[in-house]
Amino acid sequence: MAIEKTDVVIVGMGAVGGIVAAELGKAGMKVIGLERGPRLTTADFNPHDELRYFQRQELRPNWKRQPVTWRPNARATAHPLNVLNYGNQAGGGTVHYGTLSWRMHEDDFRARSQTIERYGASAIPEDSSLADWPLSYADLEPFYDRTEYELGVSGKAGNLQGRKIDGGNIFEAPRSREYPLPPLLDDQSGVLFAEGARKLGYHPFSSPRAIISQPYHDRASCTYCGFCQAFGCHVGAKSSILVTKLPEADATGNFRLLTGTMCYHVNTDNSGRATGVSYYGPDGSDNTMEAEIVILSPFIYDNTRLLLLSKTDKFPNGLANSSGQLGKHVMAHIMARIFAAYDDRFVNIYMGPSAQKHTLDDFNADNFDHSGLGFIRGGQISVSTADLEAGPIGTAMSMDPPPGTPKWGAAYRDFLGKYFTRYAAINSQTENLAYADQTIDLDPNVRDQYGMPAPRITYDWRRPNETARVEFLLQKLEGVGHAMGATKVWRGALSPGVPGAHHEGGTRMGNDPKTSVTNRYGQTWDIPNLFVIGSSTFPSMSGFNPTLTIQALAYMSADAIAKRYKSRPGPLA
Amino acid sequence: MTKHDASRRAFLVRAAVGAGAAAGAGLVPDAIAQNHDHMEGGTATPGAQHPSGSEHGAFFNHTDAATIAAFTERIMPSEPGKPGARDADVLNYIDLALAGAYAELQDFYRRGLAQLEAYCRGVYKEPFVRLSPEHQDEVIASLENGNATGFAYPTAREFFNVLRTHTMEGMFADPLYGGNRDFAGWRLVGFPGAQAIFTPTDLQSKLEFTRAPIVGLQITAKGPMGRG
Repeated sequence: MAIEKTDVVIVGMGAVGGIVAAELGKAGMKVIGLERGPRLTTADFNPHDELRYFQRQELRPNWKRQPVTWRPNARATAHPLNVLNYGNQAGGGTVHYGTLSWRMHEDDFRARSQTIERYGASAIPEDSSLADWPLSYADLEPFYDRTEYELGVSGKAGNLQGRKIDGGNIFEAPRSREYPLPPLLDDQSGVLFAEGARKLGYHPFSSPRAIISQPYHDRASCTYCGFCQAFGCHVGAKSSILVTKLPEADATGNFRLLTGTMCYHVNTDNSGRATGVSYYGPDGSDNTMEAEIVILSPFIYDNTRLLLLSKTDKFPNGLANSSGQLGKHVMAHIMARIFAAYDDRFVNIYMGPSAQKHTLDDFNADNFDHSGLGFIRGGQISVSTADLEAGPIGTAMSMDPPPGTPKWGAAYRDFLGKYFTRYAAINSQTENLAYADQTIDLDPNVRDQYGMPAPRITYDWRRPNETARVEFLLQKLEGVGHAMGATKVWRGALSPGVPGAHHEGGTRMGNDPKTSVTNRYGQTWDIPNLFVIGSSTFPSMSGFNPTLTIQALAYMSADAIAKRYKSRPGPLA
Repeated sequence: MTKHDASRRAFLVRAAVGAGAAAGAGLVPDAIAQNHDHMEGGTATPGAQHPSGSEHGAFFNHTDAATIAAFTERIMPSEPGKPGARDADVLNYIDLALAGAYAELQDFYRRGLAQLEAYCRGVYKEPFVRLSPEHQDEVIASLENGNATGFAYPTAREFFNVLRTHTMEGMFADPLYGGNRDFAGWRLVGFPGAQAIFTPTDLQSKLEFTRAPIVGLQITAKGPMGRG
């Protein structure tokens, strides 16, 4: 059993951990990063193998050894989810993500106020805990900008300092300058989607992605191989934390990464201060890392789980839980999906970055009038491969055949044989309002490989506001599919209530210690030297992928710690 | 800390006992042995030869191999110019997977196959491999919709779903894993494999991609790709 001391210990070296490690290391603080997975290199991702990385999920947690359970409601028994769509290595999910890099809209930061102002308080479902963020878009804009430029994001501005620009996202919030890199090339699905959307009067654009379209910071640009979502990039063009911030952290000389380590406890003393963490080493050893600052930045489940598991006499309901809000208000994107297929041409959607290739934002957030629609908030609409990755295994597993065609047999073989190269999937990634009874807690029956109780999600998206919105968006998707000139357009099946991608919540941030777990910096109200940074702090989620916002928050928190907390430890105002 | 150590040890012990119990379960191997005896008693049944032509049998015995070959061939039938499970050697993929990466599913397959045989004998008085293609399709449909009786673990739907999934893996995973023989699955759908690059011209094309050979992890097809 080793006991070591450091200035800062970071649990989880993904989208947040790498940024915070690099920035605090540059500020002269000694940083230890704990990461349960390995540290891979670009060379590990060549050649590409769909079975290994997509189907067998090699870059993701093993759902049997590291189970996360789900039940639709508090009366049901939870069972392990068999797909865990987040990271399990240094760089976390950014190693294998689809790289979508969205800034949230201005009204995403104040969804509650915006809804009341425009539609009245009664428009918010009674059981929803929809809340404003404790910061505005303008507060975060400099950090969005920094993330885009330091990591490398390709796209086209649609709103430069208030000037709307055709071809970019005209619904985006004002940005201070253009993207650092031009948009990625369109493939045929993007071309068809853009043509169809324009016919309907919508405003399509190339999705902003953390893939470099030109050489940048000594890295090679995208080769459009198509092995993107679920895969590491074989040329390092994906701006993952692995090829951006971890080398920066290394260069500070103040950073040490401990791979194969699993944090199981946050240690606190009688004064209510965090003293460090306990963790298992790769050899099963039980170790302690004492630290002046503890930063939790694993995927969201482990924040709630660690804080609950670390309860003491002083914190009997778990750490940082005097508000009673720990583990509540969990959200996940709801995927509405249609397929469009062509008899008269090929689409070859397996070419190019595979996820959300082209987007229209006309029905996201409060970008359209919801009066009389029976729901609030929206969804982003984009063209993608069937399962956001491009290969035939994923397509066979995820692409529902049209009504009347079975899922096996000669007719299915002929369907897949004809349309694998002739289809496009159109998705609406739909916002999920916060509800207090969508929760994470400790599963009483299922334990992981370390003997720790599995995180248990209690969640079912099928509430009236969400189902009405999904039906509205499905009709928009069908309209786009027809406008794209497809021979056939049909709906994909909806999930049976299970949480989709991009989980948020559990350690909600806010302005009031009575109703939130952390302040805007992820600093817990109860323990000022304990931070939780990541999407678990989101009070609402938006229809956009969370990664760029997570990373901008990481820069903002690191900035506050280096410039203010370091010289004067205590609550950050 | 000590509490976690104790629960962790308990977990590891349970895991070890669980693995041993599954591997040593007596009931199912007996059931399979009975089926096997029955099959051996007949003359030149369809299952007497390993349908892949290979005799290594990493996991399946001849009888089980014949059943899996017949079942997966109905999931993805082979026709001239339209490669199916037999052409891709899906059986070989599943056989190797169960001896390695999917070893934890050995019991799932043993029990599933025993239940499948019992169901077929109950309804049709014959094992699955001796049924007509039409009756085999009826059986598969009854698994898919959960109507087949007598299934406990795995359930009929679970068994169907895993067999369908493994058929697709055997069709479309890289040939390195023992299926997708001669890129049969990739030729069926027109997938060129792990191409390292697509050019701007490729991205602008409305035609099928045939510029380069199919690329696998260890082998590359001879000449530009084509179907069938």
